[in-house]
Amino acid sequence: MSISLNNLSKRYGSTHAVENVSAEITHGSLTAILGPSGSGKSTLLKLISGLEAPDEGRVIIDGDDVTDVDPRHRDIGFCFQSYAPFRHMNVAKNVGFGLKVRKRPAAEIDARVKELLALVKLDDKASRYPSQLSGGERQRMALARALAIEPRVLLLDEPFGALDAVVRQELRQWVKVLHEQIHVTTVLVTHDQQEAMEVADQLIVMSAGRVVQSGNPLALYESPATDFVHEFLGPSTVFGGVVTRPHDLELVSVYDGAMKGRITSIVSLGFEAQVTVELSDGTTTWVQLSRNELSKMGLRVALLVGVRRRTDADF
Amino acid sequence: MGKGRWALRGVVMAYLGILIGLPVVFMIYKALAHGFGPFWSQITQPGAISALKLSVEIAAIAVPVNTLVGVGAAILIARHKFFGKRAFDTVFDIPVAVSPVILGVALILAYSRIGWFGAPLLRHGIMVLFSPLGLVLATMAVSLPYVLRSIVPVLLEVGTEQEDAARTLGAGRFRTFFNVTLPSIRWAVAYGVALTIARTLGEFGAVLVVSGNISGRTQTLPIYIYDDWDQRFDTLGSYSGALVLALISMAVLLVLAMLRKRERRLRVDLA
Amino acid sequence: MSTALATPPPASRSRWRRLRSRLGLGLLAGGGGALIVGYLSLIVLIPIAALVSHGLSISVVTHGAGLAFWRWHVSIGVRTFWEAITAPGAKEAIFLSLWLSLSVAAINAVMGVAIAWVLVRDKFFGKGLLEASIDLPFALPTIVAGVVLLAIYGVDSPIHVDLFETWMGLMMALLFVTLPFSVRAVQPVLASLDLESEAAARTLGAGSVRTFFTVVLPSIWPAVLGGFGLAFARAVGEFGSISLIAGGLGRTTTASYYVYNLTQGFLWTDAAAVSTLLLVLSLVILVTTNVIAHRYQRRTL
Repeated sequence: MSISLNNLSKRYGSTHAVENVSAEITHGSLTAILGPSGSGKSTLLKLISGLEAPDEGRVIIDGDDVTDVDPRHRDIGFCFQSYAPFRHMNVAKNVGFGLKVRKRPAAEIDARVKELLALVKLDDKASRYPSQLSGGERQRMALARALAIEPRVLLLDEPFGALDAVVRQELRQWVKVLHEQIHVTTVLVTHDQQEAMEVADQLIVMSAGRVVQSGNPLALYESPATDFVHEFLGPSTVFGGVVTRPHDLELVSVYDGAMKGRITSIVSLGFEAQVTVELSDGTTTWVQLSRNELSKMGLRVALLVGVRRRTDADF
Repeated sequence: MGKGRWALRGVVMAYLGILIGLPVVFMIYKALAHGFGPFWSQITQPGAISALKLSVEIAAIAVPVNTLVGVGAAILIARHKFFGKRAFDTVFDIPVAVSPVILGVALILAYSRIGWFGAPLLRHGIMVLFSPLGLVLATMAVSLPYVLRSIVPVLLEVGTEQEDAARTLGAGRFRTFFNVTLPSIRWAVAYGVALTIARTLGEFGAVLVVSGNISGRTQTLPIYIYDDWDQRFDTLGSYSGALVLALISMAVLLVLAMLRKRERRLRVDLA
Repeated sequence: MSTALATPPPASRSRWRRLRSRLGLGLLAGGGGALIVGYLSLIVLIPIAALVSHGLSISVVTHGAGLAFWRWHVSIGVRTFWEAITAPGAKEAIFLSLWLSLSVAAINAVMGVAIAWVLVRDKFFGKGLLEASIDLPFALPTIVAGVVLLAIYGVDSPIHVDLFETWMGLMMALLFVTLPFSVRAVQPVLASLDLESEAAARTLGAGSVRTFFTVVLPSIWPAVLGGFGLAFARAVGEFGSISLIAGGLGRTTTASYYVYNLTQGFLWTDAAAVSTLLLVLSLVILVTTNVIAHRYQRRTL
């Protein structure tokens, strides 16, 4: 089901949380709303879900104008940042809640819950309580609960924010696979560009309540519309007055470079190295090198080098 | 360091011993000094029984009313924005911040024969002073805030996400309240109710002022104990009645301790 | 019936739903709120208003006919109020209540910190009993508190300490009933204190006494003050636990006991005047300590 957001605005007091946002989310896509904290991305998700009402603009899901529809009638699945498990219900009751509200027969609920718990690999934890689950398991239970009502749209608010690095990586892959299996239109909110690039097939980048750029992740990375998107979507540095990716720069002998400079620090991060150079025009930039390049060139602090844009920048 | 710790421990134990421990032990001893028989006959006297009955009847009205009001007001305070919220919140603390005697006087000046609404009330045959109705009003006032004060922090801590989740899953307002909100505050409600019961059964000052102290009609258990001592010079009766009330409050304390443990466990779950 | 009427277009139907839902919530919350406000008025606001207006002999007099406001005249009987609170017996009772309450709140502020410290930092057999005994005065009906204290410190004291009709006895009773407020105000704050800053003070060479006064006390000070305010307000208003110990002597008649005596003589105006003074006093104390504690907290955060 597609979602259209038309000129949405939401103010809290005098602050504009969301300002004149329009976006199209295509049917079956996995879209990430990406932005730093306070950019209005969570508010936008709440506007789609109906948990907040916009001051202006319309929300259209699958051709229906749902702007004035209560969240309980929108048929959306919402996963909260804290997962919001019903603490006093076990896993099966949590997952079956939406169906029970819809007064489905008990046998149907049981069957559907079983099916969903198998899908999220919690079949052996059906009678556990949320407090007895790990963070990742709670997250999967919240997903199953949201999916149980066969939502038209699945909304995930910072779905991996509260998990540790390993579980996070696992769940990202799993969500991607799950999305390919069930193909429900999914919107997730994140502040982590790596996560967004890895999981989503569409990106909406937000800053200060506005959409800065949207589209395919690779396209955004390659041709960011503004310096903000450039800096936000990956490592960046300034060279010759232009924002650029540090892996698009290279170090050469002091005579070959477009600009001369002195190395002020070298930080080795395993596979890659970050070399900071103070340039002759007084500015500082940094260059991303592979470990091989670093050792081959015999770089050290205080060495004079030349810096230039890579000619083979297209990988 | 070690010496200091022992000294502090000693001072604290001595203070609590002199102030609380020894008096309670001696009170129990005096109530039972002549054996269980006299104690039993004291607390089964018709006057004592009718006082106990009246106390329980008053509690049976005041506790449910204050529980409903407390839950409703807590939800308003924790979940709604409205004009005058601070004032609304503060009013609940007035009855416990002022002397119960003052509260009693205030009730009389509002509703008794000499009060603001005395004449119209009397015309309809409603007597507030010297009647059980006055006792109920006074008791409701002094036990007003306990349910509210137990629930609000829990409601704020639990947050609205579970309720929002229920809404996105299609639950209506009543289902959300009964299936999601109420279960998450049930131990806090129980805690508040226990405090309210303790306060209702034990209230003395406000009730004494409005009661006129008519035996069998407006005599609650605390007033009966007071009379035994002050009017009838029957200390055994006082000790016996006091022991009964003390046992009830100790039972309430036990319940509270258990509820606090549950609360704490739930808090840990949240983290 | 046309089907068009039965199923209006989605947009307008949904708008109606939303409107109905908002209206429903408004009515529910508003209706519940109105009921609660009515209840509060019945048992708290109207009586307090009646008390104050009676105590200050506030009366509204109209001159001539009509409802125009300039014909109205509000009179406050300051003189009757003043006479009531300075009557022989009244002054003494108020002063007795004041100095007793201040000393009791101060003693329990100190002991409250000591007890809270032992409960939070110390570990020994029987600590659970100690912990439970703190709440006992709060759960115990106040009249029972009086009986309990007279069982050992009364006329037929088994240890020959007779505090009946003495200020020591009154103080004992007030210390008893206010103890939970003093301890419970400090205990959670003490428990949440960062042990590392104390350890830091120790590594810098501060002894345990100096550590307490320079590191611990400044952070629990607002809580101690809050407990002091609560204990003081409670002590000024306390009646049940001292009603037996005070006996019938003038020199052991506290303010609230004095008010009770006035009601027994049906002297309602005098009772209302002294009550009004006590009411204002308790509220001022509570608000002041709250404000000071709040300000202090903001500065240290």
